[in-house]
Amino acid sequence: MDHAQREKLSELMEELTTSGEPQLNAEKMKEMKKLCKVSNDYIEYAYHLIMTQLAQEHAEIRLSALQVAEQLFSRSHRFRELLVSSLQEFLELTVETNADRPLPPPREVAHKLKTLAIRTVQAWQAIYGQAYKKLALGYHFLKQVKKVDFNDVQVRTLAERKRQEEKEKRLERFYKEKVTKAVQEMEEASLDIEQCLTEVENCVQLLAPHPTDFNLGDLEPASASQTPTSASTGQHGRSPALEDEQPCCSRDLEDKRPAGMRVVEEEEDEEEEESETEEVSEEEAFIRSSGLMSHGYTLELDISTDVRVKETEENEAVVTTMKDLQRLISTKHLPAVQSWVQVFTKAGGNEALLRRALDLKSALEGALQRHKELHIDYKRREQQVMKAGADEEEDDDLEEVPEKEGFEPHIPDHLREEYGLEPAASSSSFSSSSVQPVRPAPWAPAPSRRREYDEEQDPTCAAATLRILKQRLPSAPPTRISQTAGSAVEPQGGEGVQNEERDKAPVIPFGLDLYYWGQEQPTAGKIIKYSSQHQFWVPNEVEEEVENPELTAQVKSRYITFAGRFQPVTHKCRAPMPSGTLCERQDRVKCPFHGLIVPRDDKGIPLNPEDTEKEKKRHEEDQPDWRDPELMRDIEAATGEDLGSSKTFGKGRKGSKGKGKGKKKYPNLTDLKQSTNTSRSRLERKVFNKSAMRRVTEAMNRMDRRKHEKFANQFNYALN
Amino acid sequence: MLGFLSARQAGLDDPLRLRRAESTRRVLTLQLNQDRDVDRIHGNGINTLDIEVIEGRYMLSGGADGVIVIYDLENSSRKPQYTCKAVCTVGRSSRYVHKFSVETVQWYPHDTGMFVSSSFDKTMKVWDTETLKPAEVFHFEGNVYCHHMSPIARKHSLIAVGSKDPKVQLCDLKSGARIHVLQGHRGEVLSVRWSPRYEHILATASSDSRVRFWDVRKASGSLFTLDQHNGDKSKAASESANTAHNGRVNGLCFTGDGLYLLTTGTDDRMRLWNSSTGENTLVNYGKVANESRKGLKFAVSRGCSPEFAFVPCGSSVAVYALHTGELVTMLRGHYNNVDCCEFHPDYQDLYSGGKDCNILAWVPTPRKPDIEDEERGGKGEAQAAQNPAFEDAWSSSSDED
Repeated sequence: MDHAQREKLSELMEELTTSGEPQLNAEKMKEMKKLCKVSNDYIEYAYHLIMTQLAQEHAEIRLSALQVAEQLFSRSHRFRELLVSSLQEFLELTVETNADRPLPPPREVAHKLKTLAIRTVQAWQAIYGQAYKKLALGYHFLKQVKKVDFNDVQVRTLAERKRQEEKEKRLERFYKEKVTKAVQEMEEASLDIEQCLTEVENCVQLLAPHPTDFNLGDLEPASASQTPTSASTGQHGRSPALEDEQPCCSRDLEDKRPAGMRVVEEEEDEEEEESETEEVSEEEAFIRSSGLMSHGYTLELDISTDVRVKETEENEAVVTTMKDLQRLISTKHLPAVQSWVQVFTKAGGNEALLRRALDLKSALEGALQRHKELHIDYKRREQQVMKAGADEEEDDDLEEVPEKEGFEPHIPDHLREEYGLEPAASSSSFSSSSVQPVRPAPWAPAPSRRREYDEEQDPTCAAATLRILKQRLPSAPPTRISQTAGSAVEPQGGEGVQNEERDKAPVIPFGLDLYYWGQEQPTAGKIIKYSSQHQFWVPNEVEEEVENPELTAQVKSRYITFAGRFQPVTHKCRAPMPSGTLCERQDRVKCPFHGLIVPRDDKGIPLNPEDTEKEKKRHEEDQPDWRDPELMRDIEAATGEDLGSSKTFGKGRKGSKGKGKGKKKYPNLTDLKQSTNTSRSRLERKVFNKSAMRRVTEAMNRMDRRKHEKFANQFNYALN
Repeated sequence: MLGFLSARQAGLDDPLRLRRAESTRRVLTLQLNQDRDVDRIHGNGINTLDIEVIEGRYMLSGGADGVIVIYDLENSSRKPQYTCKAVCTVGRSSRYVHKFSVETVQWYPHDTGMFVSSSFDKTMKVWDTETLKPAEVFHFEGNVYCHHMSPIARKHSLIAVGSKDPKVQLCDLKSGARIHVLQGHRGEVLSVRWSPRYEHILATASSDSRVRFWDVRKASGSLFTLDQHNGDKSKAASESANTAHNGRVNGLCFTGDGLYLLTTGTDDRMRLWNSSTGENTLVNYGKVANESRKGLKFAVSRGCSPEFAFVPCGSSVAVYALHTGELVTMLRGHYNNVDCCEFHPDYQDLYSGGKDCNILAWVPTPRKPDIEDEERGGKGEAQAAQNPAFEDAWSSSSDED
């Protein structure tokens, strides 16, 4: 056997099997067949090559090797003999007959390999089963012992099938349980649901009867069907009951045209009547009787079912019920019914139950839909709720004011007169009225000045008390000033400006400085130190006062940190990267990889020539002259030591060196290690690193030892 | 061959000589033969095989599913293609079938009208071949691993039974009772064999790694115990004194003449002992893979000049030269572990049964035509013409490119 031919054969085999592709390269296969054809020796050699490749721990290699074997098997008797003689290993490596030796990853390819192998064996058995006894035996073994179903496309082993069956059984049981549970639930809940549905129906009937409930078929005025609730609907014109009061033809016309047009038409009609009173034709008579210009009108009755219901006092109870029902349906009943439907569809079989559940579901959804169509206006209520909330907030403000003797913060509007106070500015600005009781009198509007003065003279009325209070407190509490600042400057400026100002004013957390606003605190910043806590024995200086300037300052001043506003970075680094793209990092000043960010053009070249030079210099620093990659590699090859050339310059020459490194030996194959290269594994490598572990244990030991030294003489620490 | 024939014609040679030479040759050419098939009846692994000695025609097999099948090995069709038919079966549907795995089956040595089977269902049944009904059932306390009837006994009809119980039971077919107990082992008895030379001599192998020889006439105890170190105390650790193997001993087989005993153990060793002295002959067979937790049934050839041992070894059957320990060949054909093999002394056929439910027949390949024959017509071509599957099928298109 020619040595060169052998070399070529093994090379071909390696290329074929490590291509990583699902199909063989036809050219190479042809070449290989040509080589093998020459003599049985080559076939034997090829057989050994195939068996070694089949033993590789990579499903893609095995798959390709199997395909090669298939090609040769159908051609050479010698190859058949050889393969059949070791069919056990062959099956073990391709069909996974030995549970201890599972097929290697990747899994999808392994599955494919198995399927293909079983199909191949079946095909071989069909053709050569008679001639090669062991092949037939192997086939029967697969069929009877391993229970491979050759008709089954999804090739599954016995265990897999069993597992599948068990799973199905378990699921079935599970579903059965679920179904019985759901049926029970349904039995219990269906009454509730039906009741709920009827209630909704009744509510809807009460609020807005469905248009179909009216007799629209006959055009007789159907005012009898007008219900009291329909009167409360928002759009009177739309309400079918009201529309009936007008002549049936004209109302649609009105609806169709814009208002201006309508007026014009009416005028025309009048003109017509005036000018052509003499000639009374049939046509005219019609026009007169009907007001229409021709017979050709088509009437489109656009009866909108789009009803809007406003909540009023009259229908409040109904609306409330409606709302509750809607919530009940959407939160409780509908999800429950949906889950039943799901259960029944998944479990299958019971159609009556499913239909019933579906009926319930559609009924519930219909109810919801009807509710939606009503467009019930809850707004008023929500506003009420909101207002109440606002009041509460204002009340909070009030509570901060220390209550004074004989002072009533709340004076009802209708009693204000009696109390000698001017009426509140307006009832709508209730929110601002909360500040009014303490508002200083001079700011009050002028007209009632005189009467007010009289009142103040009367010591029994509240106004007098107020004046006294004001005199006693020369300046109002600072908080109040800050709040009413707007109104103080511009007494009659109206609430609009005041509110605006208030909106503008920054909200500041309450602090000590505000508490002592404008006051000199004699004790501020003084700390009294008690040097002795003793009951009887007292040292010479009983107490000692220490002045703390910081505390004093804290009382008087306030720090406001001004951080400025965040401005997002809009520029990019844009330095050219080895991959050909530009660096996408958006650092403010400096990119951690490419240094200071400088303006660059489309190709990533700095616009300023100085920057280009700087960059060059930096590169040179990175790779000093003496570290020429070629030279380094030579040195490494000579000394056998790793000088780091591959680390520094490896990126650029990966492609050129081909299978220089073990890892990249077969670039076409799926990298099995890739799946293990997860963040977790990398972390594990770091954390469970030997040296790291040693460091940790050493530290822990040290800690333990320290404890031992500290408590060595105590028995309960002495032992551990 | 011609030399042997002429010498035989001239009367120079013993007739035995020719016979031995030919049978040795045949054993050496044992091969999986596609002309010989054995019906696939068993749906589960095959634990035991036995070929009757009277006609050498019927073979018993016991399966792990409790089924017992009798095969007819004789090919009367005068064609090379032959499938050994199952004559009768004790199937799962039978009322008398063993509940669990049948461990041992054996023909009554003097008549095919009776056979004995023992099983993991703690019974041993004596069957009437004609009606396939048990004539007698023996019940035991533990799983029965093996039983054996003496092939030569004239004065007694005892069946030795090894079970989970360390005591070896002796059942008498005459009285249908368990008449005797041989005490001495400390573990389950995995294999029992009567000597084919002396009818009262019995060898038993146990999981306590000992092999004991008994004379059933002697009530007090065993004759002797086989010692792998031949009594050399210095080599043996105290606990391994008087042990035949370092693991469980799970196979026993006498040579045809009863002079030697072959044992296998889970220490992956096989040892040959002088059965009269109990001396280890120290033949090195190398590693004989043996993972069986039950008894292992292996066979020794008969009537060959160097005798051969056929030992199940994983999924193949290893053929060793008995006295030199040389591995002659591996018979590979099973797809799962082989549990038993049986040698047919008349035709030098070997039958093996394994966990892959197959019983394979290993048949000697016929002698190749001599040189003169080959000149007359190429044998290879004839074969190729016979079966088109043997032809090479290189596509002509590959020539072109």
